[in-house]
Amino acid sequence: MYKAVIIGGSAGSFQVITRILHSLPPTFPLPVLLSLHRLKHVRSGFVEALSIKSGIPVLEPADKDQIKPGRAYLAPANYHMFIELGNKIALSTEEPVNHSRPSIDLSFVTAAQVYRDKLVGIILSGANRDGAYGLKKVKDLGGLTIVQDPLECQVKTMTEASMKLTKVDHVYSTNEIIKFLQSIK
Amino acid sequence: MIRFEIGIVDTRNVLKAILDAYGYDFKDYALTSFKRRIELFVANEGLRNIDTLIGRLQQSKEYFERFLQAITPETTEMFRDPSLWRNLRDHILPELTKGTTRPKIWVAGFDSGEELYSLAITLKEINLLNEVQLYSSYISDFTLEKIKGGVTDIKQLEVNEANYSRLEGKGSFADYYKTANGVAYLDNQLIQGVNFVKQTPAFDQGPGGVKMVLFRNQSIYFNQLLTDRSINAMYNALVPGGYLILGIKESLENTNSNNKFTVVNESDQIYKKKTL
Repeated sequence: MYKAVIIGGSAGSFQVITRILHSLPPTFPLPVLLSLHRLKHVRSGFVEALSIKSGIPVLEPADKDQIKPGRAYLAPANYHMFIELGNKIALSTEEPVNHSRPSIDLSFVTAAQVYRDKLVGIILSGANRDGAYGLKKVKDLGGLTIVQDPLECQVKTMTEASMKLTKVDHVYSTNEIIKFLQSIK
Repeated sequence: MIRFEIGIVDTRNVLKAILDAYGYDFKDYALTSFKRRIELFVANEGLRNIDTLIGRLQQSKEYFERFLQAITPETTEMFRDPSLWRNLRDHILPELTKGTTRPKIWVAGFDSGEELYSLAITLKEINLLNEVQLYSSYISDFTLEKIKGGVTDIKQLEVNEANYSRLEGKGSFADYYKTANGVAYLDNQLIQGVNFVKQTPAFDQGPGGVKMVLFRNQSIYFNQLLTDRSINAMYNALVPGGYLILGIKESLENTNSNNKFTVVNESDQIYKKKTL
């Protein structure tokens, strides 16, 4: 029923992402799009770190790469990552949004426009408001919206901003997010 | 975040209007980012709706030139990906000038001068600036004016400076610009000898016999068709053995020209045209 999962996170989200990726079976039926704030000058290392414990391959896509199920796509440093019609990745060097490149809002908005009600959007711990507007677009276009429980977040600015803007479908702990994703067949 | 949103039909109406009025065909630009650029322009101009935009574009060539400048995203920083610039300085550029008198280098992207000034500074620091012929594409007259004046965003100086220090430049980045009244001006003596080429999205105006093309972070704004066509234009412009440099996340594997080049450096996306 769903076609993709998109996850946004910033400060305090690395361990959560690592646990989520670790929990996914190699047969996970959907692509997982990761829009995470990261250091712009550190090109390598992050994708490797996320790969170590991941149940599915984690890739840093090139522009126009086809999006395939059972793989995680990490937005590259210093680029925005869009989802383009035709189920492809599109990258952009245009100016930062919310002081961020990649911007979580831009990834979420473009994913919502492509996958509409077949999208699961998840916002994790983070220290800025980027992602709140994007999650709203996911909801407006019929997708399922989840935020990590602010009580559990290392930094709760991002999740609280998201909840303020959108009546989210679920507020989940990391364990509950994992249980939900594992239930997707 | 921009709250002004247009639909695909609106986007197509803008495309048609500028094709009809000026012969510029943007239909093969990547839809998502092109739509977003229009949305940004409309919001920044304070326009109420897309029909107002279309009307103004049709009425004024000058307005169209401003639009052109705004819809082609800027690279936004100089010496983006310092490791590439180090590679150019230490290996590619010295090799290029060996045995060839004043080889041609083409900065083929539609940026606002960041790549051109970065290249000129790199060449100057290895005393090769006068040993090459530089060609630079531009799309809008306003962009050309900005490049020629060396006008740059003062807020970007910090990023440019940081990149420059990462590539361990010979001098200090501050040697290359002045600030006055809140504006930064790059030293435009650096680009005195540059040949500027007005270019449309059709990519049919480039120089020939080129030894190196810089075409970074451009095809990311194109659909598959225009990506293939533009890379093919670069291929035709290059001499055998000439270098093609793409953005670090643009792969020739996603084009139909993959078998026409060999990979020189994968992480910096440096390719070489095969000798037949």
